[in-house]
Amino acid sequence: MAKWSRLLGATCLLGVLLTLTACASGESADGKVHIEFFQNKPEAKDSFDRLIAKFNEENPDIVVTQTNPPDAETVLMTRVVKEDVPDVIGMGATDTYSVLGQSEIFADLTGESVLDGINPRYMTMLTDLTGEDAITGIPYAANADGIMYNRTIFEEQNLEVPKTWDELMDTAQKLQDAGITPFYLTYKDDWTTNLLFNALAPNIAGIDFFLQRRDDQVTFEDPVMREIAEKALAVLPYGTNDNFGRTYADGNRAFANGEAAMYIQGTWAIPEIRKANADIDLGFFATPTGDDAESNNLVSGVDTLLAVAESTEHREESLKFIDFLLADENISQYIQEQTAFSAVEGIDQEDPALTELQPYFESGRLVDFADHYIPAAVQLNSLVQEFLQRGDVDAFLKRLDSEWTKVANRRS
Amino acid sequence: MAKRKAAFYWMTIPALLLFFVFHTFPALQGVFYSFTNWNGFAKTYEFVGFKNYYYLFQDDNVGNAYWFTFKFAILVTIVINVLSLLIAMGLNASIKARNFFRGVYFLPNILSVLIVGYIFNYLFSNVFTVWGENLGWDWLSTNLLGSQTMAWIGVVFVAVWQGIALNTILYLSGLQTIPTQLYEASGLDGANKWQEFWKITFPLIAPFFTINMVLAMKNALMVFDLIVALTNGGPGRATQSISHLIYTGGFEGGEFAYQSANSVIYFIVIAVISIVQIRYLQRRETDM
Amino acid sequence: MKSRKRTNWVAMILIALGTVFILFPLYMAVTIALKNQNDMLNSIFGLPTNLRFENFAKAIEMTNFFQALGNSAIVTISTVVLTILSNSLVAYAVARNMGKSKFFKGLYFYFISAMFIPFPIIMLPIVKLTASFGMTNLFGLIILHTVYGLAFNVFIYVGYIRSIPIDLEEAATVDGTGTFGTFVRIIFPLMAPINATVGILICLSTYNDFLLPLVIISDQSQYTLPLVQYVFQGQFNTEFNLAFASYLLAMLPMVVIYLFAQKWIINGVTQGAVK
Repeated sequence: MAKWSRLLGATCLLGVLLTLTACASGESADGKVHIEFFQNKPEAKDSFDRLIAKFNEENPDIVVTQTNPPDAETVLMTRVVKEDVPDVIGMGATDTYSVLGQSEIFADLTGESVLDGINPRYMTMLTDLTGEDAITGIPYAANADGIMYNRTIFEEQNLEVPKTWDELMDTAQKLQDAGITPFYLTYKDDWTTNLLFNALAPNIAGIDFFLQRRDDQVTFEDPVMREIAEKALAVLPYGTNDNFGRTYADGNRAFANGEAAMYIQGTWAIPEIRKANADIDLGFFATPTGDDAESNNLVSGVDTLLAVAESTEHREESLKFIDFLLADENISQYIQEQTAFSAVEGIDQEDPALTELQPYFESGRLVDFADHYIPAAVQLNSLVQEFLQRGDVDAFLKRLDSEWTKVANRRS
Repeated sequence: MAKRKAAFYWMTIPALLLFFVFHTFPALQGVFYSFTNWNGFAKTYEFVGFKNYYYLFQDDNVGNAYWFTFKFAILVTIVINVLSLLIAMGLNASIKARNFFRGVYFLPNILSVLIVGYIFNYLFSNVFTVWGENLGWDWLSTNLLGSQTMAWIGVVFVAVWQGIALNTILYLSGLQTIPTQLYEASGLDGANKWQEFWKITFPLIAPFFTINMVLAMKNALMVFDLIVALTNGGPGRATQSISHLIYTGGFEGGEFAYQSANSVIYFIVIAVISIVQIRYLQRRETDM
Repeated sequence: MKSRKRTNWVAMILIALGTVFILFPLYMAVTIALKNQNDMLNSIFGLPTNLRFENFAKAIEMTNFFQALGNSAIVTISTVVLTILSNSLVAYAVARNMGKSKFFKGLYFYFISAMFIPFPIIMLPIVKLTASFGMTNLFGLIILHTVYGLAFNVFIYVGYIRSIPIDLEEAATVDGTGTFGTFVRIIFPLMAPINATVGILICLSTYNDFLLPLVIISDQSQYTLPLVQYVFQGQFNTEFNLAFASYLLAMLPMVVIYLFAQKWIINGVTQGAVK
């Protein structure tokens, strides 16, 4: 009996506890406007925290808080389902963005003054992606996909930055002959297998090829796709002895410590590499994909775009926050910390690691990631990973076609 | 008596309602969506009849996930049961510090699958590879989890490492119910250890065997956290379990309705297996 | 019965070797968490040259460990208490009536078949539902864990309750005690062993769960421990030492409880499954 009454007591206590937690999660009534900023890059959390602190100080009547969950796209989807869309969203220009944009989750910002000064090239990338006229995303920062290299090793070996595909293979061969690992490949993480594919495809086949595939005008069993697949295979012999066993984290650490001369990655990895070795002298060049250096484009996509929820009650304050993020000094701070490129015109990325990329930005020789035009349900990453390990070009291209067709049938 | 009956209804109906609202109703919604083309968040959707099911049976990714899951479940169930029975017999032998050893063997059961997976993920890439090199074993000198053909072995290994904990303890408690006199009697008859095991030990712990098979099988068929932490279904789709396919295809791939159809089929498959097993269990219950 | 057998050294040695297999990964986790980056490069296996407890301090700060621990504790403790009180009651009603009533027999099979519904199918609908009830917080998590546990718990409780002789209750009924009173005074105290079983199992599964909190909890300050590990997996990136320090911290509370209550926990787990 005594035991029972003690349990009863515990239950009461629990009831109180539950009520307390339920209250704690409610809105606090301090008369301020609360804005939730949801963004998907764990690497950028600290940078945004600093900018938010500054904004909150300048605007005492607005309180911005940051949400940066893991698996952010899935969580964002659950938030949409909860009808609790965050006021301001920062995310990549992915297939998920495209689908959400088409589902009228984001507000149409056409004609808003925040769009002044944004590079029109990136604006077009976003509208191409959603296939709608409405502007639902503001490009904020851009990235580049290419090849990182260790300048110290290149100097010691008297190597130049390769300008054509053949030169790239030649450089790799020389490095291997000198007993240096040419590429540190991190193909255990399937998304990294896709980076080279993403650099080759827009240059060799062109983005239009994928748009034509949408309309069934071409198939992947096309000579241009074969060339892409064969080139993607060609780097494998120049990797480590365990190309499929190493992860992105392993790669960042190993490249930072000089274990390889080149590293196929995006500019977003640079802060992580510097965290592991602050003194590394690294450079970054656009993947040379063919024989003509002049016609080669740099693959650069929208790394972070900003969107406002259609359902927000604080559209004006949300735009004010976005306007603040886009202000020259704030966006400069962000792109320096994240080694990204500004979507606002006139703000240059001056990081010494990225000097080789400047000409591409100046002359506008930029092209978007190929996989932004491939439905997410095709799961390109795992297809490429499987292909690289099996090495069967025909099977890969056939499978790419059949997966695409399956997804298209299911979506129709 | 009627009052007594009413009390029993009062005991169950609130829980039944909650369970229905939070479990059955969402599940029915899932079944409902499997006949639509809803992507998970669009404001509108259309009915498509059995289209999702039709495409499901043509999708080799689904076949692949079933093949992996069953291969994994059967192998894990067998290895776990053999090993844990051996360990349990060792623990049941007259050894010193039995409670200490028992405690150690049960330890993995209290750890989070996700974290255990993360730890092994590191060991596979940074520790086991060094052993492989030193020993000159080619198959281990590269990360096992990165290999299309071998990754599943790595996943089985970790599942076994964690899974033997519970089954060992259950077998041990079964073995402890067997009176030692039985063995003494058989020792006089000149039975050897092997005969002793099959004639005495195994029949007496048969009920524990059934339970352990069911538990290990059910856990293995539902495997999800471990896949996320070790391989994320890769390389390619080499280690993609059914739960993982439903999760990634439905959420990352934006094909919620299609994967709901997959879940419905999966439920039917698991339910059939379970009904057979539960029937078996119930028969055992009445036998006792 | 006297068993004064000699120690079986062969079995003992094999069993001791087996524990190496179990403990090795955990030993690695501890040493990695205590090393700095240089130690790691020199030797992965060796003991750290100087113990780096800073890794733990930094991991605590980065992951906001104590907040997450608090959240995990609230969810786990509340779920265990609620589960034991509510699920045992349901199981009692089912166990005592399933022989004679179609309704209760149906209920039993209803709960059991629910065990086999794959979680992803209910995931999105449940998110929508909890949001419309304003339950996307720790409170919602506790309710969901308690409700979802019902399926498996009824299964084990029923097996146990049926082994309790019904005469006791009949005597109580004759004395004029109501059904609830009988449950509270007679059955519930007799259920202590099986309550321990259910409590331990629910405690472990709730504490270690990460998929449900991931989709249910909206507010980052309410994240539980495993969820926090998942969050920081991306942010630790190259700093394996910090990651391992953080893993160990997340496992520590359960391991400490286990060290003190080992015998009780193991007996509890066995009790339930055997019945």
